[in-house]
Amino acid sequence: MAKVLIPTPLRQYSEKHDSVELHGTTVGEVLASLTARFPDLRKQIFNDEGKLRSFVNVYLNDEDIRYLKKDATPVEMGDTLSIVPSIAGGATSVAEPPTTLSKEEILRYSRHLIMPEVGMEGQLKLKNAKILMVGTGGLGAPLGLYLSAAGVGRIGVVDFDVVDFTNLQRQVIHGTKDVGRKKLDSAADKMLDINPNIRIDRYDVALDSSNAMEVLKPYDIVIDGTDNFPTRYLVNDACVILKKPNVYGSIFRFEGQASVFANPGGPCYRCLYPEPPPPGLVPSCAEGGVLGILPGTIGLIQATEAVKLILGIGEPLVGRLLLYDALAMRFRELKLRRNPECPVCGDHPTVTKLIDYQQFCGMPHREEPAMSVAQEGEIEPTEVKAKIDRGDDFLLIDVREPHEYQICSIPGAKLIPLGDLAKRMSELDSAQEIVAHCKSGVRSGKAVDFLRQAGFKKVRNMKGGILAWSDKVDPRVPKY
Amino acid sequence: MIEIESGAWEVMVSHAESTFPNECCGAMIGNIEGDQKRVTAAVPLENAYTGAQGARYELRPEDLLAADRKARAAGLDLIGIFHSHPDCDAYFSKTDLENSCPWYSFVVLSVKSGKFDHAASFLPNPDQTAAEKEELTWPKS
Repeated sequence: MAKVLIPTPLRQYSEKHDSVELHGTTVGEVLASLTARFPDLRKQIFNDEGKLRSFVNVYLNDEDIRYLKKDATPVEMGDTLSIVPSIAGGATSVAEPPTTLSKEEILRYSRHLIMPEVGMEGQLKLKNAKILMVGTGGLGAPLGLYLSAAGVGRIGVVDFDVVDFTNLQRQVIHGTKDVGRKKLDSAADKMLDINPNIRIDRYDVALDSSNAMEVLKPYDIVIDGTDNFPTRYLVNDACVILKKPNVYGSIFRFEGQASVFANPGGPCYRCLYPEPPPPGLVPSCAEGGVLGILPGTIGLIQATEAVKLILGIGEPLVGRLLLYDALAMRFRELKLRRNPECPVCGDHPTVTKLIDYQQFCGMPHREEPAMSVAQEGEIEPTEVKAKIDRGDDFLLIDVREPHEYQICSIPGAKLIPLGDLAKRMSELDSAQEIVAHCKSGVRSGKAVDFLRQAGFKKVRNMKGGILAWSDKVDPRVPKY
Repeated sequence: MIEIESGAWEVMVSHAESTFPNECCGAMIGNIEGDQKRVTAAVPLENAYTGAQGARYELRPEDLLAADRKARAAGLDLIGIFHSHPDCDAYFSKTDLENSCPWYSFVVLSVKSGKFDHAASFLPNPDQTAAEKEELTWPKS
């Protein structure tokens, strides 16, 4: 004797009963009693050969009878049998690799199709390819535009940032109307506009050791378009572990680099740079500036390498570091070898899973506020303004560079670039009160430390620099 | 025909969008009066497919059993299954058909670039060789 629960849609065959008590000592017997009582249920549950239909599972209480004794599973008073279907599915059109191009695609890719090196076969390889772009900034912008135009079928995009006015000078995938939007949405819109035949996977995350493996896994090739060391080492190590080529590019001022790392047999980023530079030694583009066109050149070298890897044509940039100098307009090449001692891709790797890259690169964690260099002796921009208005006797020095002073300045400030401070110290009076400022407060903090060591006691650092001045005192002062 | 109430619909759309770029799946609970099915609650269930989930889903029968029990306890019925098609239209694919069952309504939500786009409902036949489109209504925002 057992209770059988009838699924809702089958109650039309069970005289509307939602459960019935039936006789039998095994599951098979109970089901036989069920179909004897309600013959119409039979064809719903059993096939023509009298076997349970492929999608039907029978559960005795909480257990699938397949893992018990199937039909022979004994039943006792108080047991409940449930009939549960197996259900699965999926959009097969995506799961099965496309083997043809539509008429529209054939037109769109005609300049590829007429080259034997690409042809129909190559274009289908592109359509079936899966590339992950890390970042939609300077390098990601040309990458996103050209990879979608080329017909790379699935492109993963990672970015958690928002479009900012300072991005527009080089991140050409975003427009003025996109300022304030998520870079992910802005980039995806542009890419799908260029080519609606592609699929874009959006990852609104900061890539870190907790999510990188999962994010990278579905892709054939990873392209690193980031501008910081922790992410660069993270992407490299994850690519080596997952055996995916890492198409690398980096940019600074007028110079760039590119290479393909972690390709089977080839070197990785750590073979070239085993250790990150000390924090602060290598300035970022935000600190040192970058020619807006430069990431276009480097990003397109990365895009070219990615497409070559997919098509399997030409000579990949593996084991070679390409150096580009825009001012000299010269490309140079350095030979790179895989380092057998490399901690990640060497013969006896010691790094076999992802580590804490913020710590590895000596960076404070994101959530920790950056310590101000000279927290003591800081002064708010509003207080500086009040001092000026009151006519207090003090000297405001601007320790930025002359070209920055040309962009904007605070009236009355004396320009002494940080690098000139030592030789121009004689211009300062140690008895006079001094306030130093720069763009954001870091360089002027260094200036304050330097002057204190030189015996100046009445020096203070204007908190947040001219950026904070623009926010808190005079919004007419442009931010850069 | 099948009608989805707003509370259930919100759960379905948000599950489909948050699971993007993977497929999501879940159960629809409500009541049936004659030909009219009304979905009053949706239960997101885990996609148990072990490979890449971008274009596949699999429901664990245990999870479906639990959803069915939950429905019964509330005096309601399990009346359908929903799943999403990321960056793909809401049609009933060959895979969907071959792994379906004729007892339930199968609602497919098309999610394009992470946002809900359109939906359709299907009723597979007992041999899983064809599925008939079922009239579906959901709260349009």
